Amino acid sequence: MTRTGEPILSAHGLAWNPDGRQILGPLDLDVVRGECLAVVGPNGAGKTTLLRCLTGLLRPTAGEMRFEGRPFATLTRRALARRIAYVPQIRPARVPLSVEEVVLLGRYPHLSAFQIAPRQEDFAAVDAALARVGIEALRRRPVDELSGGERQAAFIAAALAQESELLVLDEPTIHLDARHQRDLADLLLRLASESGRTVLLATHDLNLASLLGDRLLALSAGRVLACDTPARILEPGLLEDLFQARFEIVRGGERPVTLLQLGGG
Amino acid sequence: MRGKARSGHPGTTLFILLILWGAVFLIAPLVGSQRVDLADVLRGDPTASVIFWQLRLPRVLLALLAGAGLAVSGLSFQTLFRNELAEPYTLGIATGAALGAVLALRLEESGVLWGMPLVSLASFAGAISATALVVGLAWKRRGSTATLLLAGIAVSLSCSALILFTQYLSDSTQTFRMVRWMMGGLSVVGYGEVMWTAPWVLGGAAILLALRWDLNLLLLGEELAASRGVDLVRLRIKVLGVASLMIGALVAVAGPIGFVGLMVPHMIRRWVGHDHLFLAPACLLGGGVFLASCDLAARTVMAPAELPVGVLTALLGGPFFLWLLVLGKKDR
Repeated sequence: MTRTGEPILSAHGLAWNPDGRQILGPLDLDVVRGECLAVVGPNGAGKTTLLRCLTGLLRPTAGEMRFEGRPFATLTRRALARRIAYVPQIRPARVPLSVEEVVLLGRYPHLSAFQIAPRQEDFAAVDAALARVGIEALRRRPVDELSGGERQAAFIAAALAQESELLVLDEPTIHLDARHQRDLADLLLRLASESGRTVLLATHDLNLASLLGDRLLALSAGRVLACDTPARILEPGLLEDLFQARFEIVRGGERPVTLLQLGGG
Repeated sequence: MRGKARSGHPGTTLFILLILWGAVFLIAPLVGSQRVDLADVLRGDPTASVIFWQLRLPRVLLALLAGAGLAVSGLSFQTLFRNELAEPYTLGIATGAALGAVLALRLEESGVLWGMPLVSLASFAGAISATALVVGLAWKRRGSTATLLLAGIAVSLSCSALILFTQYLSDSTQTFRMVRWMMGGLSVVGYGEVMWTAPWVLGGAAILLALRWDLNLLLLGEELAASRGVDLVRLRIKVLGVASLMIGALVAVAGPIGFVGLMVPHMIRRWVGHDHLFLAPACLLGGGVFLASCDLAARTVMAPAELPVGVLTALLGGPFFLWLLVLGKKDR
């Protein structure tokens, strides 16, 4: 089910090699409208660097990126933020705001400095985002008092309130236990199917990637090893090249499941 | 933001602060080494009028403005550096200002320019040069907050060394005036100082208030703020520039008055929450009330002698830090 639709985000010759160090690329990449593309790879493969380049946070040392055909260079930071919402992996330990306040700050790219208060449509977007993520009950709660899974949900709701077409998540399930991983995977699946949002995520959890991804992009030492459907990427030889570890692949369900093998190496 | 902010009562607090501000504004000019009756002032009694209109009112107005400026710039530094212990003097602004003043005192400059004593203008220039140097140094390294802090410490230490050197070269009268200047105080004040300070403080506060969304977003971390469209480098320059001009202008007329920018925002946050839409005006009011009350105490506790208000705020600041350490722990 490789998609051939129009790319919403595309990168050509993208590289980030500061001071001549080989960190990322050069690589080419298309994110197709409506798909979920999961970037997988070991620690240090350059996943976060790739996402930071693709969200405009990091200016690549070479290459060009376009959103719906428009070069990033022609878009202001705010204009880019109205198109791409990013949920970074690293966040401050303390966030002294309530869930509603955090989600409302997702409206920043739509707000003007001269507005006394957010408009009705901003509050509507906040309500919709809270409802979609299913955390209306947490609205008034301080973020600092939430569990890890609830916090992640609050930050995803903030990204949804940004009302951008592309949602980018860096390691969304890291530090979450099994139940919260499942809840989050359910949420992301619902988002993709109900709102037709395009999702780009980075993870080293192969089973999450298999569950969510329409396509997987295997990133190894900053280069694209392969980019294809989960069934074709989750294959013992390729995974061993990628992670330097052996996996058993269980097929039969809708999506393949990987099991890490002990020993060897 | 809509409804009630999490941990605070912004509406109630702002209302109470407004009443306190009004009370201080009305009562402080009447109290001092000599009591003044408002009725006498209104009747036009000459002694009472001079004390009220010429001596006390400008001083109270300056205290209200200076406290407001110190608290608001403290707030913006704390948000920018994501550290509640950052204060307006963190980047070496006060030492830069002190160096300017000390040099002017050494040169015995006693002229007046644009209605301001040259010592004040020299300290303003010192404050702005120190900040420009710090920002320039950090800019070379793409303006990260860590580099800014390190550059601030380096510039501050260099200025301190130059101050000591200048003091060593001065005679005892000059040295005394230098030390007295560095204690900070509001003693010799007329309407000129009030007119000089007001535009810096009010203009700066208006700009910081306009940046409230950006400052709120910084609470979620720089990475997230940048991904929402905040230009971090430009924001840092705007906030630093505004806060430094404000502080430079205040230090020029009142000397370095410490700890107001640290204590006031900290208390206000507990009552108001963290939304800068309410924090900034509450700090404006609260800082003014705090400094004007300190000044009232400074000129009455040892009457007829007068304590420099900077000494009083510093005396309060030490225990405040200890209180933060011991009792504030459950907060972090």
